[in-house]
Formats: sequence, C-alpha cells, structure tokens
Amino acid sequence: MAHRSHVMICTCTNCISNGALKIKDALEKELGERQLTDDILVVQTGASGLCVKGPILMVQPDGIFYQYLKETDVPNLVEEHFLKGRPVEALMFVSQGEDIPIPRLQDIPFFKDQRLIALRNRGLIDPDNLDEYIANDGYKALAKVITSMTPEAVIDEMQKSGLRGRGGAGFPAGRKWGFCRSYVLKQRAVQPDMPCYVICNADEGDPGAFMDRSILEADPHSVIEGMTIGAYAMGGTHGYIYVRAEYPLAIRRMIQAIEQAREHGLLGKDILGSGFNFDLTVFHGAGAFVCGEETSLIHSIEGLPPEPTQKPPFPAESGLWNGPTNINNVETWANVAAIINSGAEWFKKIGTETSPGTKVFSLAGNINNAGLVEVPMGITLREMIYDIGGGIPYNKKLKGIQTGGPSGGVIPASLLHLSVDYERLKEAGAIMGSGGMIVMDEDTCMVDLAKYFLEFTADESCGKCSSCREGAQALYEILSKICRGDGEMSDLDLLEEISEAVKDASMCGLGQTLPNPILSSLKYFRDEYIEHIKYKRCRAGICKQIMSSSCQHACPLDQDVPCYVGLVAQRKFEDAIRIIRQKNPLPAVCGRVCTHPCESKCKAGVGGGKPIHIKALKRFLADYEMKEGLSVDVEAKPKNGKKVAVIGAGPAGLSAGYYLALHGYEVVILEALPVAGGMLAVGIPRYRLPKDILDYEIEIIRKAGVEIRTGTKVGRDVAFEDLQKNYDAVLIATGAHAGLKLGIPGEDIEGVIDAVDFLRKVTLGETVELGQKVMVIGGGNAAIDAARTARRLGKDVTICYRRTKMQMPAIEEEVHEAILEGVTIDYLVAPVKAVAANGKLKGVELIRMQLGEFDKSGRPRPVPVEGSESVVDVDTLIPAISQEPDVASMIGRSKLKLTKWNSVEADAETFYTGVDGVFACGDVVSGPDTVTTALANGRTAAQMIDKYVKGEPLQRTYAVTRPLIRVEAVTLTEEETAAMKPAEIPVIGVTERALNFDEVEQAFTEETAVREAKRCYRCDLELSEGEPRSNA
Amino acid sequence: MRSTNIAKLKIEDLEKIARRMKKVIHLREGEAKAKIIVHMGTCGIAAGARAVMTALVEAIEKQDLSDVLVTISSCAGLCGQEPMITVAIQDQPPVRYVNMTAAKALEVLEKHVLGGRIVEAYALAANNK
Repeated sequence: MAHRSHVMICTCTNCISNGALKIKDALEKELGERQLTDDILVVQTGASGLCVKGPILMVQPDGIFYQYLKETDVPNLVEEHFLKGRPVEALMFVSQGEDIPIPRLQDIPFFKDQRLIALRNRGLIDPDNLDEYIANDGYKALAKVITSMTPEAVIDEMQKSGLRGRGGAGFPAGRKWGFCRSYVLKQRAVQPDMPCYVICNADEGDPGAFMDRSILEADPHSVIEGMTIGAYAMGGTHGYIYVRAEYPLAIRRMIQAIEQAREHGLLGKDILGSGFNFDLTVFHGAGAFVCGEETSLIHSIEGLPPEPTQKPPFPAESGLWNGPTNINNVETWANVAAIINSGAEWFKKIGTETSPGTKVFSLAGNINNAGLVEVPMGITLREMIYDIGGGIPYNKKLKGIQTGGPSGGVIPASLLHLSVDYERLKEAGAIMGSGGMIVMDEDTCMVDLAKYFLEFTADESCGKCSSCREGAQALYEILSKICRGDGEMSDLDLLEEISEAVKDASMCGLGQTLPNPILSSLKYFRDEYIEHIKYKRCRAGICKQIMSSSCQHACPLDQDVPCYVGLVAQRKFEDAIRIIRQKNPLPAVCGRVCTHPCESKCKAGVGGGKPIHIKALKRFLADYEMKEGLSVDVEAKPKNGKKVAVIGAGPAGLSAGYYLALHGYEVVILEALPVAGGMLAVGIPRYRLPKDILDYEIEIIRKAGVEIRTGTKVGRDVAFEDLQKNYDAVLIATGAHAGLKLGIPGEDIEGVIDAVDFLRKVTLGETVELGQKVMVIGGGNAAIDAARTARRLGKDVTICYRRTKMQMPAIEEEVHEAILEGVTIDYLVAPVKAVAANGKLKGVELIRMQLGEFDKSGRPRPVPVEGSESVVDVDTLIPAISQEPDVASMIGRSKLKLTKWNSVEADAETFYTGVDGVFACGDVVSGPDTVTTALANGRTAAQMIDKYVKGEPLQRTYAVTRPLIRVEAVTLTEEETAAMKPAEIPVIGVTERALNFDEVEQAFTEETAVREAKRCYRCDLELSEGEPRSNA
Repeated sequence: MRSTNIAKLKIEDLEKIARRMKKVIHLREGEAKAKIIVHMGTCGIAAGARAVMTALVEAIEKQDLSDVLVTISSCAGLCGQEPMITVAIQDQPPVRYVNMTAAKALEVLEKHVLGGRIVEAYALAANNK
C-alpha cells in the first residue's frame, strides 16, 4: 500500500546521540495510536548534513524540515501535521548560514533564482543536434516573422520590448535596428543591390567574462535564429559572427550549426521556402580588446588594422565595406527569438522599467558558486552574491564587486542592496558592461586591482589616440609607484586629472572607460590608497614591496615572523626568541592568547590551506626561554633623570612602561587592582594563561626598571593632578573594564552578573554565586571565556548569540574547545527580557533572529522573528556583549575629553590627549581591542612620550615592512617535503580539564616546532636582499 | 556535398520535428528510462568531462543498458564545479552531480541510475563549498 507521506528521520551517529532513535520510537508509537501507520512511513536516513540541529525530520513529499526535536514534541507534531495537515512552524526554524544539502535541482538557490531566456537551452539540449533545438521552440520565431510579420512589425516589436544591447553600452536594440533599416531603404532607393551586413560581436575579452562563449557553445542556433530575424527586419544580406580564435569549441560548434542550418534551409537562399535569402560566416578574431568597439571590429573584418574611426557616420549608415551595418552582441541576439515567440509585453514584465529582461553574468573571483547565471534585471547584488553565488569562500569578508571588467568599476560591499540594472550601476560609478562580475574578498588590494586593470588596458590600447596610449601608461606607472610604497599624496589628484583627460580625449570606449577602475576605487576605497601612501600599509597583504611578508605586515607589533620561524626551522631557538623579544615584551603571553592576525594572512592558508601555527611557535620559543633559564635582555639606554607615570598595568601600560624604561626613564605604573596584568590577569581565564607565566613576564618588565604599585587607584589613593605635577608625562592605559548592559527589562536583578566582573572575581578568588543553569549572552572572546569558566565551576552553560557561527568574532579554536567541554551554543537568538521571581532571576525570554539585509559593514543584520519568543529557565545570566572604559572618577577635574563611548579622546597616531603631558592609549582610547594592539600602542606611546619630553615634534614616521635580518631558508629533503603536513596544537583531554583551571593548550615539542616551521613559505625571501630598505 | 542529400525544411516540418523530439527530450514510456547529460562546455572539458563521458559510454555498452541514454550538453552555469553531469530519471526531478571523475560517474550510474538512490555526497548542494 502506498503511503501518502514519508517521514525521513536522520539516524546518523550524531542524531542518534541526540536521541533520534527515541524520537523514531515515539513517532511510530504515536502514529500507531492514531491509526496512521498505513498512511505515514517512517524512514531512517543517513547524515543529512544538518545534524548539529538533530534530531531532525524531513516530511516528504512536502519537503518540510523539522529540527531540534524532543520526544515531547512528537504527539503535537503528529496531531498537527499528519492529522490536521498543519505543519508545526515552531519546530521548523532553519538557521541561515549553514550548509543544507538539497539534492533536488529546483530547490537549489543557484538554479531556483535564475530566469533563463538567453540561456534557455543551456545544459538541456545537445548543441550539436539541430532537432533538439527545434524541439524547444527553435526556429519557431523565424517561421513566425517570415510568414506573418512585416520587417517594420518585427522592428516595432523589438522596440516595444525595450531590449537593450547586452554588449555594454545598453543602447536599445530595436532603435538600432530601425536606424539601420531606414538607411538600407534610403540607399537601396539609389542602389537597389546595396548589401546590408548583420554582425554578431562575440569578441569577448574582459578578464573574468565568459557569457558569450557559453551561449555560442550551449546554443549556437539561438544566435543564428536571432541574427536571421534581425536580417529579415533590417534587410540584411550577409552576416558575420566575429569570434575570438581563443574560443575553439565555440567556433567549432558555431560553424557546425551554420552548416546544419544551411543544409536544412534555415540559412542561405530561400529560407524556409519563403524567398528570403541570408547567410552567415564565422570570422576568427585575433583577440584584441579594442575590437569590442564596433568600428574597430568592422575594420578587422575588412582586413585593416583594428582601430576605431570617428562616429558619425554610424555603422547603420556606413559600416562594413561602407554598407549599412548592424552590430549586436551574442547575448542580445540570443534574446531575439524568445521575444518574438512570447511577445514584447511578456519580456517587458521581466526586469525593471528601464532595463527589461534578464542579464547573463559570469560570477568569478572569490565566490563559492563560480559560474554563469542569468537573472532578471533589478535583482540585488546581495541576491547575486549570497543566494545564487553561495557567498564568499573560507568565511572571508566581501570587499567589493567589479562589474564590467576593465571598463567598469568596483562597487563596495556596503552597496550590496543595489539592484542591478544599467542606471543603478552607472550611478554607483560602475557599468553593466557585458556582464563580468568579479567578486573580491578582504584579501584583495584595491590599489593593486586598479593597477591590474590598467596594465591590461595599457597593453590593449590600440595606440591611435595619444590620450589613451600615453595616459594608460602614465596611470599604470603612478599606481605601481603607490603599490611599491613610494607614492605621494599628490599622486591621488594626478590620478584623477589624468583619468579625466583620458576620458575626454579618447575616441572610443576603450579609452573613455579605462580610468573607471581607478575613479571608482578612489571613490569607495580612497582609504586604501592613503594607507599605501602615508602609512606604507597594504591591509589586504598583497603589495609585496610594501609588506615583504604578509604575516609580519599584519602584526600590530611588526614581529619578524619569517625570521623567527626560519630560525626555528634551523633549530636556532635562542636566536629566534631574541628576535621576538626585540619587539615584544610579553611573548609567552602572546604565544598563548594572541588573536594571531598573522595567521589569517599567512600565504600557506590561502585557498583553504592551513596557515603556519605562528602563535604556537612563539609560545614554544617563550617556553624554551623559561625552561632553559635564558636571559634575553634588550639593551637599555642610560637613565635620563626623567619620570613618567603610567596608569594601568595591563598590556598597554606594561609595554609603554617597559619601553620607556629602556629609553632611560624612571617609570611608575599605578594599578588599581591587587594584581598586575590588567585583563591578562583578571579577564583571561587561567586555563588559557596561567598565572606563573604572566608573573614571569611581568618580572622581566620590573627588572628593566619599571616600578609597579598595585592596589593604587588614581582618583582615590593618588590625585590625577598630582601625577601631572610630579611627573614629566602621564600615560592613561586603564583599559575597558566596564561591561555594557544588554538594555533589556529586568537585567538589574540578582542573578545577572557581567562577564568581566564574573571573570575578575573568579580569578581573584572572590566568591561568586552561580546557579546551576547559566546563560551567557554574546559571541566574543569574553563570552567564551565566561562560559568555559562557568563550566569549570560545574554549571550547565548555554551561550546565546544573535548571529550565526560564521559571524562569531571569538577565536575559532576557543569556540571549538568550549563545545568539546560541553558548552551549548545557540545561534540566532537574542534576549528580550529577564524574568524574575521573588526578586531573583528565574528565566530569560528569548527571541529567534534571522539574518536580514546587509548593514554598512557588509554583514547581514540579525532581525527578530516575530512571534518566536520563548522563556528559558535560567539561574544566572552573564551578559558578555562588550566593554567600555570607566575613567570619570579617575580623571577628576582635568581637562581631558571623553567620547560618547566613555573613552578618552587622544590623537589616533600619537596618543597625545592635547592636555599638558597626558597621553592615553590601549582600550581606554579604542574600546575593547586585542592584546597585541595594546602592546603596540604602548610601544608607540613610549616613543611619543620620549619625543614630548625631549621637546621634539610629535610625529610618527612610517616605513615599509622589512625583516630585521636575513635568515636563510632550510633545504628540505624529498622525504620531508612529501611528509609535510600541518601540526596540531596539543591540548589536554576534556575529562582531564573538567572542573579545573589547568592550562588546556600545550607547547609543541621541539620536533613538532621544527617540522611546522619548515612548512613556512618564507615570503620575506622573495624580495631581493631581505634587507631593510631606506625609506627616504 | 552532403547538403544536397538533406531535404530543406518547410515551416510545417518544424512542428513535426518538435513533436518527435519532445518525446526523446522528456523521456516517455517506451523510450529511455534514464538520461545522463554530460556537460561539455569549455569549462567542463578543461576539467575532465571527456573522461567522464567515455567512462559512462563504455560502462553502458559493456552492461548493455538499452534504456539509459548518455547525451552531451553545454555548461550548466556552475563552471567552478565542473565536470558536472545531470541525471534525469523518468518521472523524477533531475539531479545534478558536481566535481565528477570517471570513478564517481560510474558510482552515480550504479547507485542512482540503476539503484535508484541519489548519491548525496556528490550531488549539488545549496551553499556548497
């Protein structure tokens, strides 16, 4: 007996461990009790891929997906769904940003959201088989026009459809046909045998564009049919398909299709027995970009050099061999038959008012579903990139999209809401072009990109106009100079000036559009140009001459990563730690808690590879130093008799104090807490950073001559004004220790404790009352730290985060370990209010979120799902959303200014507050940032304070990144190369670490460290000497 | 010349061809039970579609599978995941398989076309990476 519905229950290991078998039993029991066993079949399936949401059910044929099922849900589910036919929405919520295998074609967004007109036959028919083309309405439109339409009626229909030329400029095809026909009629009045030419421009040359090739390969007859209809309408006598010789398959299929059409009387004399004559020739182009310009293309067919000529006369009047000529591109021709078959009215309903129909785009670059798509005009870039394109690979951030190839412009991620049609793209400074769409992630340098396109156009310029020929070269050279780190600010004006001149003075589209990549990137990414010029920074990690190696360039401390990794590979561990200590006063700390921006830019990690474990190598070296009792002192200058007070003994204060002491200053650090280290001591839990490690490093700073007075609160124990009086300079580095409130009703009751307070109390050994059910709100490192700490205290912990895992800012490894330790993470959920009973927290009302439109930062904004509220029993709520500084009581009546985020106002480059001798740096200025940034800030503040005290101008100098020394690469044996694989950071077992604060991550062994170091590509050696270059 | 042997089409012939061909294209009773389309655009060929095609044709010949049709078509749009094949079984929605090799294609032939079970591991998935 046939069942009316199948319930597919996933019984993979994961789902079984989540109770899938119990659900299955409950389902069968419930179905039995309700006599539904004959109607509904329960089927066990393998892993669905979504088993993190298990147990899960799929009801077929409805395709409804239920997740996170509990046994108690089953009776209601059976009653509602199978008896009453009402799917249970509460159980259906599907998180976005997860992989959902959907093997059925029509459900896959890549195909579902496309609308195929020009590509109507792609992937469906055999392009070599004329009969298959005919089966899908092929040549029906041609038959229709020659039997029932006058040429004028055809042109009228095309004009009404509003089809715009798909080659780039977007001129209405029907009008172009009309012009051509009127010239044909006029000239034939004088010369009756005047030929008229119909040309298909298939000279596709944009980097990253392959729409035309695909149409020619997939459906050659659609182009033949479109051209033949065009010839009928305009009076065309012969046609040319101008294809690049580099498209051999397209050429072969096209030639074969023309032969078939000719054999079957669809081309040549007396087409379909109607008396109408028209034939086609395939012309092999040599591949010159300038042939995209119609007059150049015409000259190329004539056997002349492919250079443009002045218009007018337009080709419609005098084109190929001086005959009236019409040129449209491949995609335009492929649309014609569909418009004739279904009518202009039908076509106009698709797309936007000014840009009817669809457009074919080639999605290329940093996109998961690279390929060819045809979508209705007016679709948003977000739909293109995320729904159809499947988003950006490797969880990288989208930076921008280049449309229109080298003639187009770049659109920044902040304009993802832009709907794609001719007008909108132009307004944004880009063009539709022929439909190339290059998607670029955060690792793309916009200056380098502009340089790439200019190199292309400078090479492709035909040379006829000096503005284009010389201008492109000049622009390219300026961009190269900026990419080398030799740019000047005046170069930006020069780029704009030359760009405008090239646009104005060049005859054809090539020259008129070649400055677009520069102008649009200057418009949206000017910051990146300025960073290259002023700060010698390439944030993408691309411009070699500026960054040397991307790891070192990405490190706020400018750590000479390739040097020390190279030395580890040579087993010169002591030399290696000396290199690190030159620029980092806390290597053992950084080797444990750094967020390692170096690794995210490591070239070994490009394209899904594993970056070198730079952080772990640093830790290995720091531990080596401790174990071997090495004394790695950095040379100090003699005492200069000047005194500096530093407020706050966190990483910024410690770093500043250390470098000031090395400069010869007498330094006192005043710390309100009973311990030194700031967040390192009371924010980061001991299982990540043991106390003895921190103490060891602070001791080295003390030995350098820094006095640290703990338990001394400025504003209570010492007056801020007294510090100003008694010291030559004061540095405020008190960090950001005040947790932000959630801003929900009821959060001020007993049972709610902020993450920072909670972590501090636990590390300082103070008592914290925690209930059994703990909920942490947030997705950053503080949230994970608080959750793992509470777990170690034996509590049941759930983290609620309002976005998805992909957007979680916490360090990935930490999230992974937290889950292993039994922390539950619930994504796309946010607290609405705290529920109290008897003045104590009893529960939290949560609301489900879904990812909505993208915000300015290019991230999808979480928006609440109405009606999805539910209350969860919670004993303790720990908000961990962010922190801000709390300095009001400290600074007293001084003239210091605070921002609206309660941070201290200070110059972003020099950290000077503008108030006599007072500097401020670290989180107290920037808000919560990383340890490494705080250390770097402290070091810079020390340099600036030194200048201030000496009366020198407060100015920073910036240089390109170079390694300290040249370290030779090790030679690898063949066996070593073959056995090369990324090392794993050793961790202690989950049971061993439960309920204690023992350090989780362990150091590499010497062997592992050396092996891992040998994986390094040593990008620093790509520059000639590897030596520092003078930056004069 | 070959062209002289082929009858020139008249308008009414188009309709006849269309009717005849639709049967093949849309798999009806009595015709092939299943159709495997190998996507042979430049992207597919460059990624190795020929080896996939050859393997399928040879296997079908060897096993004498008269009701399985192998045909070619062009790029299906997902050039980044070529070679691709589409399996269309009578009365079922077509399934597209990505990143094919000869071995994987034979597995699809055996498990899906002959066995009736979609090989999910190779099937195109939403948001696939």
